[in-house]
Amino acid sequence: MKRALKWTFLGTLAAFFIVPLLAMARFAFQSVPVVLLTPETALQGWSIDPIIAAAREPQMWSASRTSILLAVFTIALTLLLLIPLAVVTEIRAPRLRPLLTALTLLPWVVPPIALVVGVAVTFRTGAPWFLASVFSLVPFYALWAMPFTYRALDAGLQAINARTLYEAARSMGAPLPVIVARIILPNMTASIVAAAALTTALVLGEFAFASLLLKETLPTFMVNFQQSQARAGLALALVVLLLTAVAISLVVRVLRRRGLTVQTTGL
Amino acid sequence: MVAVDMRNVRKVFGSSVALEDFSIDIVSGELVCLLGPSGCGKTTALRILAGFEKADAGTISVDDKDITSVAVEKRNFSMVFQDYSLFPNMTARQNIEFALKSRKIDASQRTAIIDRMLSVTALEDQADKFPHQMSGGQKQRVALARAIATSPRVLLLDEPLSALDAKVRESLREEIRRLQREIGVTTVFVTHDQHEALAIADRVGVMSNGRLEQIATPRQLYEAPVNPFVATFIGSINKVPAIGISDGKWECWGSALTGSKSSTPGESVMVGVRPEDIRVTPEPGGSARLTDMSFLGPITRATIKVEREESVVVDLMSAECGSLRPGQEVHLSLRPDLDRVVVF
Repeated sequence: MKRALKWTFLGTLAAFFIVPLLAMARFAFQSVPVVLLTPETALQGWSIDPIIAAAREPQMWSASRTSILLAVFTIALTLLLLIPLAVVTEIRAPRLRPLLTALTLLPWVVPPIALVVGVAVTFRTGAPWFLASVFSLVPFYALWAMPFTYRALDAGLQAINARTLYEAARSMGAPLPVIVARIILPNMTASIVAAAALTTALVLGEFAFASLLLKETLPTFMVNFQQSQARAGLALALVVLLLTAVAISLVVRVLRRRGLTVQTTGL
Repeated sequence: MVAVDMRNVRKVFGSSVALEDFSIDIVSGELVCLLGPSGCGKTTALRILAGFEKADAGTISVDDKDITSVAVEKRNFSMVFQDYSLFPNMTARQNIEFALKSRKIDASQRTAIIDRMLSVTALEDQADKFPHQMSGGQKQRVALARAIATSPRVLLLDEPLSALDAKVRESLREEIRRLQREIGVTTVFVTHDQHEALAIADRVGVMSNGRLEQIATPRQLYEAPVNPFVATFIGSINKVPAIGISDGKWECWGSALTGSKSSTPGESVMVGVRPEDIRVTPEPGGSARLTDMSFLGPITRATIKVEREESVVVDLMSAECGSLRPGQEVHLSLRPDLDRVVVF
């Protein structure tokens, strides 16, 4: 009975995610109208033309390039800010951890519109050049990704018991820069990779900030493209979704192969 | 010669006093165990000595030099932690090398020292393995090798055997003692396991509520505890009634004894008597009855109900208690050469 309930629950959950994706795939890649869909026609009319049409759009490539660059810069900024913060908190001020854990959730309390309007008002007067660049999105994305990235880094530090490693190295006479460079960072690789993967997934799917700041990234391009070419737009959305999922699965698989678990990486 | 001298050290965390007026002298080359229940302040004392915590009051000297304000990395101490604290990204050899590099040991000497450390800890075949490829006992031996490789002035061990299973714990305990004697390093060993402490320490300091209750050799601690806490914490003890007699002595089961405090004639108290200090003689109509016997190998533990008193536990040599049976009436007396007891 318990087993049947478990499988019913898992089945419902799987259907909740898989049915919309199948519908999306059918709409994008199959040219048979819904009313004519029968078991006999289920395998007819499939074609990859819609994704080829999307690939022929030059704007798609430039938007993809922009999104990838944004992901790279966001990862760099996030790690630059959060690694020192997480490491110092863990080894020097562990009592501040709960406060920091709460603070890093704040970006999700403020809606994107409020964040963008607030920042825009400030920067338009003081540094209008900042909002003119597409890379003005980087700080927004770094902030938005913080709840994920901080947790991944923090989980990594907890898993390696960074504070004891730090104390052990100190008792041997090692100075702080050496401890961080030779002990802490090399043992955080898995959580750094996890934080980077999560940031990439978030940047490749973020729409609100880019749209509000009138920047063309892959998600904003996809929305506009769907309005003119519905099937090609949806095909592109599906491919991006699958590629992101595959990329994250590969990262997880590599981490698992190195003996690193969800506790170590947050993934 | 006194190597380590902690004097009147006090440490408070928020509203709880972790150490109060804590003083201890440790002689050069000595192995001292700090023993006590959880939260008694033993780890805090060790961490203050290591320099990881700052004392609110008091001083710490090493070889007559005040090091109270000296940073951890400049104290030339080494510490072994309960959870091994080996660097996961380094092999056993690299872990030891890191310690030597940190102490700026010349590159030409490093290889020789590492090989010697791996040899004395019987880890030659583990040299190129990473911590996750080793067992708990092997990891702790690497941690020990890493700690002694730099020839520290003081070796600090914070419950180093707690995470290991009983058999490994026992063999590693002996190994720590052997290594400590071989290299003669002054060592402070923190543990909550009294068997561990009694087995390896030159002296054991028993702590309770942030205070050092008594520091003495294992035998002195067991045979002449200074107060009821130490008496009950170390080994088993029976509380039996005693009456004050002349000369400040106490009379208990027909024996005149010196107590941890002197008596006034007629005063009634409870005194502590170890299970092995009680003699049992079968005696029909005796004032006590044997209620239970547990065979524990070389000794047999007997539970005996004394008339109008609490039951006492007696340890008898298994080979000598063949005639005793549960339900039998017996007479209890104290070992003739027992002359000192703790008064509760």
